Amino acid sequence: MLVVLAIIWAVFYSQSPAYLSFQNLTNLTLQIVTTAILALGVVFVLLVGEIDLSSAVLSGVCAAVAAGLTVNSGLPLPVGIAAAVAAGMAVMFVQAQAVMFGVPSLIVTLGGMVILQGLILVVLPPEFTISVAGTPFATIASAAIPAGTSYALAAVATLAFVAYRLFQYRERLSTGSLASLTTIIVPSALVAAVLFGGVFTLTRQRGLPMPVLIVAVMLLIAWYVTTQTRYGIHLYAVGGDREAAQRAGIPVRRMVLYSFLVLGACAAVAGMVDASRQLGVSVTSGSGPLMLNAIAAAVVGGTSLFGGRGSIWSALLGALVIGSISNGVQLLGLSTEVQYFATGSVLIIAVAVDVVLTRGALLPGRR
Amino acid sequence: MTVDSEPQLSDPSDGGPHSTPLLELRKVSKHFGGVRALHEVDLTVHPGEVVALVGDNGAGKSTLVKLVSGVERPDTGEIRVRGQHARLDSPRAAAEAGIRTIFQDLSLCDNLDAVQNLFLGQERHGPVWSGRRVRRHVMEEQARRVLESLSVKLRSLNTPVVALSGGQRQGIAICRALISDPAVVILDEPTAALGVSQRGEVLDLIGRLREQGRGVVVISHDMRDVRQIADRVVVLRLGTRVAEYRRGGYTPSELVSAMTGAHEPSDD
Repeated sequence: MLVVLAIIWAVFYSQSPAYLSFQNLTNLTLQIVTTAILALGVVFVLLVGEIDLSSAVLSGVCAAVAAGLTVNSGLPLPVGIAAAVAAGMAVMFVQAQAVMFGVPSLIVTLGGMVILQGLILVVLPPEFTISVAGTPFATIASAAIPAGTSYALAAVATLAFVAYRLFQYRERLSTGSLASLTTIIVPSALVAAVLFGGVFTLTRQRGLPMPVLIVAVMLLIAWYVTTQTRYGIHLYAVGGDREAAQRAGIPVRRMVLYSFLVLGACAAVAGMVDASRQLGVSVTSGSGPLMLNAIAAAVVGGTSLFGGRGSIWSALLGALVIGSISNGVQLLGLSTEVQYFATGSVLIIAVAVDVVLTRGALLPGRR
Repeated sequence: MTVDSEPQLSDPSDGGPHSTPLLELRKVSKHFGGVRALHEVDLTVHPGEVVALVGDNGAGKSTLVKLVSGVERPDTGEIRVRGQHARLDSPRAAAEAGIRTIFQDLSLCDNLDAVQNLFLGQERHGPVWSGRRVRRHVMEEQARRVLESLSVKLRSLNTPVVALSGGQRQGIAICRALISDPAVVILDEPTAALGVSQRGEVLDLIGRLREQGRGVVVISHDMRDVRQIADRVVVLRLGTRVAEYRRGGYTPSELVSAMTGAHEPSDD
């Protein structure tokens, strides 16, 4: 999928060199933040073999809760954030109960989406909009980390990565397993290149935007949890074969619940970041193409709709692919239909690839 | 028709060829509603012994496996493990008592690799503050040892098991059972749906389990398998044990007629 991204970038760059300017790359990054955070949560749910349609609208509801508490009721920002995250997880808890009861998650979350569209009208004040301009809430998106601090953060992150790899290397040596120093050097160089390149690009204007840091931290935690812990293995096991996971003593239902709770928290964060960027919450928050973009991002990035396959990075990669298309189309002044055609085609191709990888052929009985 | 080719089996407390039996069932019965699935069945498994359990469909083989693996509880009768009375109320309890069952579908997660499958549900992990970080290097090392002990050869421990052959998958399923070092291993139709060479591989695996001194119960439809590996054959029909043979003490047609209850060979 990196190849697809490179092709997309090359095509747009050939049409307009401004596409790969620092300014546009920063714009692009900020445009995909909401989708990426939501897609991250969607990946957790897809990995256990479920699906969700309600989280985008839920993100609007959570943003309304946070903005209502902080802007209209004057509570401190951390309280509003905590309340929004709690609300997101509570809604997902209820939906997960219905899923564990045996109702297909597609139906549960479809119904949940409609109910949440009603709920946002209840949560919002009578004028159906909360403006957050000029309040502490707006600083979630507008805050920026100075370039110097950002480089220091990148350096710390790189060092931490190298240290963790070295730790694993020594662990493997201690049990006489195969271990090679290339598994430290090559990934470390890659990580350093991405981190410093990213910081260099994104601090051209005002320093590193806060939403970028939020996404980075969430991705980092999600990477650790899904690939390095027992929880991660169980997550993939439940998505791979529920029966087998159950027989191995894995609490399948609880794992499904956890995934929905993670998505609830992600939806809340996505909603708050989005509201802060848009400087307000309204009835339309979380509506529009956000939900389908988040699912499409996860799938385009390589997460299977059938569960058990995919990675955290698919959220970022897929959001980048989809965001790159819409950003480029807008930059070139092409009409909106071109954007829809291109995004839709990429989605279909990605799912086709997924089916071929899973089953070996698009249609059964060919092999 | 009852073919008790060995006088010893009517008396299960008799000790057998070795010392205490690893697993012993005494007059175990199980009913499902009004259906009699098992009626006063006796079974003993000794260390280093392969016992084949054969019978037609509905003979009670799967019920017996369910009782011993802790999925179902017997209505009456007693299950003893290493001479001690055992209550196998759950699969976990059975595993703790030292009985591991490998079901016909193997219960492997196709998307996970060999190491993850071997330790599924019993991962070696770090403390809670590390988020129960999986100690992959410890698991890999142990996995390599277990796989080696049964001569299961894998090109890589990191490939998802979906890419492996049927024999390798069966090998991983058996090795998974061995992670907790069980005394008794029960295999449900281990060679069903396997090719000829893979079937040979699996029969070799079973032989190595015997060499390790474990008790092995094999449920099988395949008379060739039974003749090749079983030290003892127990025949079930309609929920009762109708016959038991020692290795070499029977002919295939005797076995078939015991299974089907047919007196004439034509009545198949």
